[in-house]
Amino acid sequence: MTNIVEEIKTAVLEGEDDLAQSLVRQALNDGLPPIEVVNRGIVPGIQAAGELWQQNKYFHTDMIMSATAFRTAMEVVEPLISEVEAGGLGKFLIGAVAGDMHDLGKMMVVAMLRGAGFQVVDLGEDVPRELFLDKVIELEPNILGLGCYMTTTMPELEAVIKSLEEQGLRQRVKVMIGGVPTTQEYANQIRADAWGKDALDAIIKAKKLMGPE
Amino acid sequence: MTEEPNRIKIAAQMHDHVMSLTGIPARQFYTDARVMVEAFSEVADYYGMDIFRAAGDSYNAEIEAMGGKLIYGEHSMPTLDSRNPLLKEPQDLQNLKLPDFSRDGRLPYILDCIRLSREKEKGNKSGFFCGPFSLAVGLRGFPGFIKDIRKRPEFARELLDFIVDEVLVNYLKVQQEYCGVTMSDGFNAWASIPNLSAGELMEWVVPWSQRVREKAARFGMTVGCLDGDYCEERLEKFDPEVLHNAFEVQRASLGRPICLLGQGRWHEYPLEPVLDYTAALRLQGIQVPVIAWVNARLLRDGPVEAIIWMIKRFIQTFGRNHELSLHLANIPADTPSDHVHAAVAVVHAFGKKPIADNLDEIAFTPPRRETFQEWRAQRRKSANG
Repeated sequence: MTNIVEEIKTAVLEGEDDLAQSLVRQALNDGLPPIEVVNRGIVPGIQAAGELWQQNKYFHTDMIMSATAFRTAMEVVEPLISEVEAGGLGKFLIGAVAGDMHDLGKMMVVAMLRGAGFQVVDLGEDVPRELFLDKVIELEPNILGLGCYMTTTMPELEAVIKSLEEQGLRQRVKVMIGGVPTTQEYANQIRADAWGKDALDAIIKAKKLMGPE
Repeated sequence: MTEEPNRIKIAAQMHDHVMSLTGIPARQFYTDARVMVEAFSEVADYYGMDIFRAAGDSYNAEIEAMGGKLIYGEHSMPTLDSRNPLLKEPQDLQNLKLPDFSRDGRLPYILDCIRLSREKEKGNKSGFFCGPFSLAVGLRGFPGFIKDIRKRPEFARELLDFIVDEVLVNYLKVQQEYCGVTMSDGFNAWASIPNLSAGELMEWVVPWSQRVREKAARFGMTVGCLDGDYCEERLEKFDPEVLHNAFEVQRASLGRPICLLGQGRWHEYPLEPVLDYTAALRLQGIQVPVIAWVNARLLRDGPVEAIIWMIKRFIQTFGRNHELSLHLANIPADTPSDHVHAAVAVVHAFGKKPIADNLDEIAFTPPRRETFQEWRAQRRKSANG
């Protein structure tokens, strides 16, 4: 049993998506509880990738492969675990704002958030303002993450926050922003609660927003 | 003809800012070359730039002409629909139709941007194109192409060969013929660190950047791809060894050494590792030009004092012993004009050759300038009589 979770971890770390998925199926068939597969195999794999990233040993190519393997492995096991088990840390709604099609950074943030224990709802790219508002009402997330990757779509970040304020929703949800052109200064300027410099920073800030553990 | 200034030159990548400042709708800005080039030219004059290149969505037009889907925002640059890459599966390459490079999609618009810029006094005299690696990423999506590299390396090579031999070589011939350019620059932002490691860049980027350079040289075009920009966002991860490897990637791609200090956090990185690299080459009798970019987010967020400090530091460090040129990196749309004026004025004040022994002895106050609209109204009034 120990062996197979180690193998799952290695498969996720090394970005072997097909292998990770088949190992997860095998572990489940062998009777390993789904939450054990997640906590001892899949999550440590993506976390180890993050550590190598911090050490300059992993680059975006490696992170993308690990994030893909993480997602592929989670697809098998996610339906088998409860919402509480899957995302005990909180609910995180995320999307790239209207006009913005970039998904690379968000893909890594989503994988790392899930690995950290957040339940993540990804609305995708080019998300209309109204959809963010509707989903905040419907899903009641703890945190709304807004991604923006072009300077010309940055005003949409502020527009979403303003709309939340106008609709009386702002107090219900913390707002994080991220993406290449954004900065802490800009986050302050538009009254976001936090700015994520990259995927790892986003996890730290999101945990902080959830309050003391 | 205006006389060449005897100082360090200043240029900018500024499509978002030009569109915002001039108020031209995105649809028009990214389809009407005459309007775009005029707007660039005016804004370059307003700020006192030495050179401009009317280029915007330089990663899209080739793919759009082959059938790729772009999203046109009301206020933003068109972008490739990453959810819907043109080559969804490797076998789609077999059915990919080569465009008519002088007619299809918005390639005529790009060609006109190059041609009309060239006719302007301050306009860049080179063409531009999407570098082979970035074109592959555009066709397959970044995760898709990375998976190709890792799991289907034969296909990844086949795609890169196709891009160079069938797409870029033919496109460059059209640029040469239609625009009258003898040089063209390959933009290759996907081929940066930390998107890829230096080892991956050497294996998956450099050979095809070299290949397009060599093939273009056969019909008289000087072509170079800007690969290996060091863009590490986390200061604690800054690593001189990785930086030096990035410079080696740039050297291998271009066939000559340069130090491109591009989109990274050069207002925070130490500059000594750059000097170490150039000093080592100088011992071999090789001079290394330095192309230093002023960080986009610093330009937007300021404060002005930090922008001045950064540019002064570049001039202080590289101005005397290196061939230094300065660029403002992708000026964000909403950057206050005061910030840009200050950046240009610093170069004009401290960049005079020979560079002063003590820059601190030069009195400098950031200029207070009229708005772009006021300046333009005044200029048009003067022109009318």
